[in-house]
Amino acid sequence: MHDIHTIDPVTRIEGHAKITLHLGDDGEVADARFHVTEFRGFEEFCKGRPVAEMPGLTARTCGICPVSHLIAASKAGDAIYAVTPPPAAIRQRRLLNLGQILQSHSLSFFHLSAPDLLLGMDHDPATRNVFGLMQAEPEIARRGIRLRQFGQEVIAAVAGQRIHGSLVVPGGVARQFTTEMRDRIVADLDEMMGAATATLELLVSVEDRFERELHSFGEFDSIYVGHCLPDGTWEHIDGKLRIMAADGSMLVDQLDPHDYREVFGEAGKTDSYLKSPYYRPYVDGDDPRPGMYRVGPLARINLAERFGTPVADEGLAAFRERYGRIARSSFLYHHARVLEVIACVERIAALMEDPVLFEEKVRSQAGINALRGVGASEAPRGTLIHDYEVDGNGLITAMNLIIATGQNDLAVNRTILDIAREFVDGPQLTDGMLNRIEAGVRAYDPCLSCSTHAVGQMPMAVSLIAPDGETLAEVRRD
Amino acid sequence: MSRPKLAVWKFASCDGCQLSLLSAEDELLTLAAEVHIAHFLEATREVAPGPYDVSLVEGSITTPADVERIQRVREISTTLVTIGACATAGGIQALRNLADVEAYRALVYAHPEYVQTLARSSAIAEHVPVDLELRGCPVEVPQLIEVVSALLAGRKPLIPTHAVCVECKLRGNVCVMVADGTPCLGPVTQAGCGARCPAFARGCYGCFGPMETPNPSALTDRLHAMGVDDPTLVRLFRTFNVDAPAFRTEARRREAIDAGADGRTP
Repeated sequence: MHDIHTIDPVTRIEGHAKITLHLGDDGEVADARFHVTEFRGFEEFCKGRPVAEMPGLTARTCGICPVSHLIAASKAGDAIYAVTPPPAAIRQRRLLNLGQILQSHSLSFFHLSAPDLLLGMDHDPATRNVFGLMQAEPEIARRGIRLRQFGQEVIAAVAGQRIHGSLVVPGGVARQFTTEMRDRIVADLDEMMGAATATLELLVSVEDRFERELHSFGEFDSIYVGHCLPDGTWEHIDGKLRIMAADGSMLVDQLDPHDYREVFGEAGKTDSYLKSPYYRPYVDGDDPRPGMYRVGPLARINLAERFGTPVADEGLAAFRERYGRIARSSFLYHHARVLEVIACVERIAALMEDPVLFEEKVRSQAGINALRGVGASEAPRGTLIHDYEVDGNGLITAMNLIIATGQNDLAVNRTILDIAREFVDGPQLTDGMLNRIEAGVRAYDPCLSCSTHAVGQMPMAVSLIAPDGETLAEVRRD
Repeated sequence: MSRPKLAVWKFASCDGCQLSLLSAEDELLTLAAEVHIAHFLEATREVAPGPYDVSLVEGSITTPADVERIQRVREISTTLVTIGACATAGGIQALRNLADVEAYRALVYAHPEYVQTLARSSAIAEHVPVDLELRGCPVEVPQLIEVVSALLAGRKPLIPTHAVCVECKLRGNVCVMVADGTPCLGPVTQAGCGARCPAFARGCYGCFGPMETPNPSALTDRLHAMGVDDPTLVRLFRTFNVDAPAFRTEARRREAIDAGADGRTP
């Protein structure tokens, strides 16, 4: 059984998703756990290192959304320096984050999910991947590749390179944004807008085929958490946190991320390696599940009143017409992602017209002025928080990273539980159930190496655990 | 004619290097037509067993299971290429090689007894013979395409092994160390990035690891004379390639100097 439990303390994520299903005394599935090894290794070995190194070091936690860590680490550094970055730097970071969300969502939608959605969940697994999509639907595949490429180019323009860029620093950014960079981005804007809107039309046209998935993949009430402007406009980097109840009522609005500990707890579970953040006021006792909340695209469009850009808002209005003001099903993360892609293209276009973006002063200088700093932003998958404590020399003494995928952990567990209850009958595990779980988990686009393997099936290991702890069955798909 | 089979394997890593393959947008379609991309050993065992003509390996070895798995990968691969700092030098997670892994594990996990881990994060080449190492954190897309193209064509890939300084001079940068006194690993780091950081007035921080026959002691002696203290010098070498031998040795040497162990005044 040790394969299931083998995790490595430093790799933040393993090659396999590990899922355990726990049977109750009545033989029904009582609980499901999605096991992820978190970023804790980083939290240890970053101790003793200067805060200025944190963007470069923490970017290495993840090759999929390194930009999100660059930004959160830089913002935490801003707080420790107690500086406000120059206006041009703030705009460059905004641009960078839009590029990141755009490229990551494109990867998730086209490279990972579109093969399921467009070729069908029952399509031959050998070609149910991005290369199969290229053969079956070359135009759609090319659109996805171009959208991701565009997002990556925006990232490279600001951060220096696509993965693990080095040009975002505490206090601002490292270089001025030039009109040459703008011209390269502007040249592609029309094509990207066309590709993004065509993608939405395509998704809407096939969504009716997935009625069953809509109702079985994480359709439940939960709290939603994400950044948002005070007037309710969708925000990804600069606003504060909004916490919305399942019925759309406001629990907390404009919470400064610096104070996240006041409302969020982190449950250190006895039977898992992953800490599950939860909404503290809903939890009384040891079980964090009543405090379950969702972050990421679905949460962001639920808690925002509007995108604030015309085409995305048109899409949002149609979405709400169809699914209600609060969309409950995690299957709709896909739809939310495509709406955000449109919003990102529109906002990138608007930034290209903003003269402040091109200003020369891009970095504020200061020394260590505060001994704790919290930086937060919306990563593609949801809210990301970096919390640092430093000594008088700016060397890290304590660090806490709250990752989007971790925050969705309770919701992912619940989604797997729902699917398992429907598909597990007695001490047997079937391949059909594995397929369902894979698709259910993938809706969250969890930042797992296993969810990002573009070719092949999601590698995972599922085990069925009896009430006495005995492993009854185990399925492994590598 | 059957297309050559390419496999991509992941060990402990961030996925950034294999994502670089997907980032080769313009070449991706061409590549997909030229090679049969078969990713996972177990996923393909039934339908398309090895051997694979080319295996790209990302990530470092950190668990007992990894040790066994890399042996299997080697057995079924004609050419094995390691990609990125994790695979070629143990990666950023090799920072833990400096710490007490037991204490670490207890700190990090609620149930450390379930955690099976090796004391060190190590490079692939410590476990199996490697045909080619491609450096970088992450690897550069053009270099990755060059390697795959060269292997398909049966020629030697053109990957420079000289210092970042060469690229920096070719690019016409002002030397950040000479002009600004900024610590820079360019003189000892392998080229490949195009001297990206110095082009923006930042010191190189060694993503590509040690160049061929580096002289890091000369560099740190110079930096020390410029006023950079020993703890900073030690940290300079302890990032993504912390366990690359030349960097590891130099960091230890500076640490010893800092502790006064070599008899010199700190």
